[in-house]
Amino acid sequence: MSKTLIVAQREFVENLRTKTFWIGILSLPLILAASIAIGRFLEKSKDVRTYAVVDLSDNGWLSRAIETRAAQTDLGSMLRGSEQEGGDSPDVQAWLQNLPEDHPIRDLIDRIKEAAPDFDPAALGGGEDRPRLPPAVQGTVLRWALEVQRDPARAKVLQNLASSIALARYRRVELDALDLTLDQPVEELRAALNRAIADEELFAYFILPNDPLTDGAGQYVSNNLTDGDLRSWFERHATSVVRARRIEGMPGVTQEDADLLLASFPFREQRVSSSGETETVDTKEKAAGFAPVAFVYLLWIAVFTAAQMLLTNTVEEKSNRLIEVLLSSVSPLQLMAGKVLGIAATGLTIVGSWVGTALIGAQLVPETGKLGQLDLAAIIGDPVYLTSFVGYFLAGYLLYAAILVALGSVCNSLKEAQNLMQPVFILLMVPLFAMLFVVQDPNGTVARILTYVPLYTPFLMMNRAGGPPPAWEYFASSALILVSLVIAFWAAAKVFRVGILMTGKPPKIREILRWIRAPVSSGAAADPVQTAD
Amino acid sequence: MGSTDTMTYAATLDHVTKRFGDHTAVDDLSLRIPQGSIYGFIGPNGAGKTTTIRMLMSIFYPDSGSIRVLGNDSPEAIKDRLGYLPEEKGLYKSMRVQEIVAYFGKLKGMTSRDANQRAHDLLVRYGLGDWLQVKCQALSKGMGQKVQLLGTIIHSPELVILDEPFSGLDPVNMELMRSTILDMKREGRTVIFSTHVMKQAEEICDYVFMIHRSKKVFDGPIHQIKQSAGGGIHLAYDGDAAAVFAELTREGLASRINDAGKEAEIHPADGIDPQAILARLVGRVTVRSFDLREISLHEIFVRKVRELSGEVLEETPR
Repeated sequence: MSKTLIVAQREFVENLRTKTFWIGILSLPLILAASIAIGRFLEKSKDVRTYAVVDLSDNGWLSRAIETRAAQTDLGSMLRGSEQEGGDSPDVQAWLQNLPEDHPIRDLIDRIKEAAPDFDPAALGGGEDRPRLPPAVQGTVLRWALEVQRDPARAKVLQNLASSIALARYRRVELDALDLTLDQPVEELRAALNRAIADEELFAYFILPNDPLTDGAGQYVSNNLTDGDLRSWFERHATSVVRARRIEGMPGVTQEDADLLLASFPFREQRVSSSGETETVDTKEKAAGFAPVAFVYLLWIAVFTAAQMLLTNTVEEKSNRLIEVLLSSVSPLQLMAGKVLGIAATGLTIVGSWVGTALIGAQLVPETGKLGQLDLAAIIGDPVYLTSFVGYFLAGYLLYAAILVALGSVCNSLKEAQNLMQPVFILLMVPLFAMLFVVQDPNGTVARILTYVPLYTPFLMMNRAGGPPPAWEYFASSALILVSLVIAFWAAAKVFRVGILMTGKPPKIREILRWIRAPVSSGAAADPVQTAD
Repeated sequence: MGSTDTMTYAATLDHVTKRFGDHTAVDDLSLRIPQGSIYGFIGPNGAGKTTTIRMLMSIFYPDSGSIRVLGNDSPEAIKDRLGYLPEEKGLYKSMRVQEIVAYFGKLKGMTSRDANQRAHDLLVRYGLGDWLQVKCQALSKGMGQKVQLLGTIIHSPELVILDEPFSGLDPVNMELMRSTILDMKREGRTVIFSTHVMKQAEEICDYVFMIHRSKKVFDGPIHQIKQSAGGGIHLAYDGDAAAVFAELTREGLASRINDAGKEAEIHPADGIDPQAILARLVGRVTVRSFDLREISLHEIFVRKVRELSGEVLEETPR
């Protein structure tokens, strides 16, 4: 075995025994597990908001209409959420037919079919513009929704179906349940409900005016005004109900006119595919566009961890006076190459374990693979991302390795090294700050300029992977990386062979530059001055 | 050095000069180190011993002159046949004892299997059999020194270079180092070691080379150096000898006297019979022993430097 490999092997084995290595290996699975656990905990601990409604409108038509509309919206969300779960097929009909017997939405579909045999639930599936539900369906959905609302177990299941089901989060408490009736004077109701809020029996209550069509405001009372979700959800549906009623109330206006007036005017997002045609982008794909951010972040951590290891080990050898013994067996170049390779292997092991755990994790627990609308499993499994990640890890690591191994070679203690590290660290922060801008505009000016700063090339190319950049940029940046690596290692080797034997104060940058310029053969200019007999 | 022409040399230096900036660390040095000998590099701290050794190890390269080690001009080629124990030495704290000794062996080209086996054998032989799997950070200083020495010799080097091997050793390890050096000579290896304590060199070296302020003072077989330097009297005494020593010098009986209070080294002037000196001493001090001996290396060093520069040297420990 060549000496370089023996050194590399020792570095690798030695690093397997360090805490840093195992923290590196375990960090990603732990972070993933923790974020999923915390997410679930937060979801669980987010109490169902209970609210009461004092509806002074005729027979309480307003609150009923609001709830119908909310239930309709939720039904749409559920169907669309289910559609995603069912696969990429937009064919709701097919999905409905293959719906398993015990699916939580199954019983709703059955009940809708029973109540309104002519209604096709598939019509609810696609798009933003859903048809107004026939009254029979409305009633069924409303009754079903109220049942689900009161059954936390089912509400939970539905929540997993679509990310935002208002029914699962907000529960209306009937006045009867609080021993109140609408026959009581409003002031008395108010006082009683205020007490209920103070006792934390209620989160909030609404007062709907007697004539909502002309009296343009309701009241919302709560102790927690920072969390306005409940209010805005209720207000949104109230607004559309009241608007519809106002329009319908105008002379000569039909319900169709009202629908037309109220219909929104949405834009469907499309993009130009690689073959030059337009194609539709769904929300999932849009979320995936942000995936490179996660990769850049991991890349940054991996590069930094590995380069830091290299620095620590180099300084350790120096401060432990091992260097001379080593140099009696290997040349400085062999030593440096061995260290760089050994830690590259360590870094690749960590990175590989991350990829492995993520792939296995996504396989084992399909649910954990989904963060909101992001399908992690699909993104991690994307060979373009994977190969770029591993490739850019190597490139980034090697580049910073060259800098840090040279830096470590001139330092006598970790403290000195850390002082010298600071400027490098600041340089290394730039791609992190730029990350979000770049992912939004992967082929923009900022992204392009930063790509051709060699220290940032690996991070930026990873960052732009969602774009993706044109092929020539891949070639240009790869060539740039290779050239930079050659130059970096050429300079690092020169600094290393002098610095490694040096004792005393770390040299000034100017001095280091002189070593780099000095030809290798003339050791004189480059030998350590402080070394006395 | 009449027979040198037929000798083979483990290392030769020809007009080697090494500068660090404005400072000349080694100035026009020529040396022949015979194979199978124990060769001492002596001289005060800072004289240029370590620089010479580092050039032999091709850690530094000379600015001018040439160096051949084990018959080879290209130092990289023979690194595996050399063993080097630098003055500043350390161990990887988190490596285990057997592992690190074997690692040094592997770096010298041994197979992993041989290195492990030999590390095991050596450690057991040197009394560290219970420590094979202990991490180096748990070793005492003395044990660490042993481990370092074993790491230096694991690959049975033909030429072993030890830089200040005795400094900082406890008496037990000092004896161990001595016997290891003598064993290596017996096995036909060449040993070079440096020391600023001349007595150590005097005890075990076949040859010495003395360097002072970057320049060679003398070199050659130790017995020859001593012979040519003449003898000296070792005196052990009680009483106040200052007056009689002064007389001896003033009257030209002694060329130089190194007085240590209860012992003294008296160098008779040319042609003076030591008995004459003894006669002068008797009655003035109580003579416990009067012993005609070879001159000490220290004395030779002091004289030579005086000859060279005419200046007074600061005393170095003897």
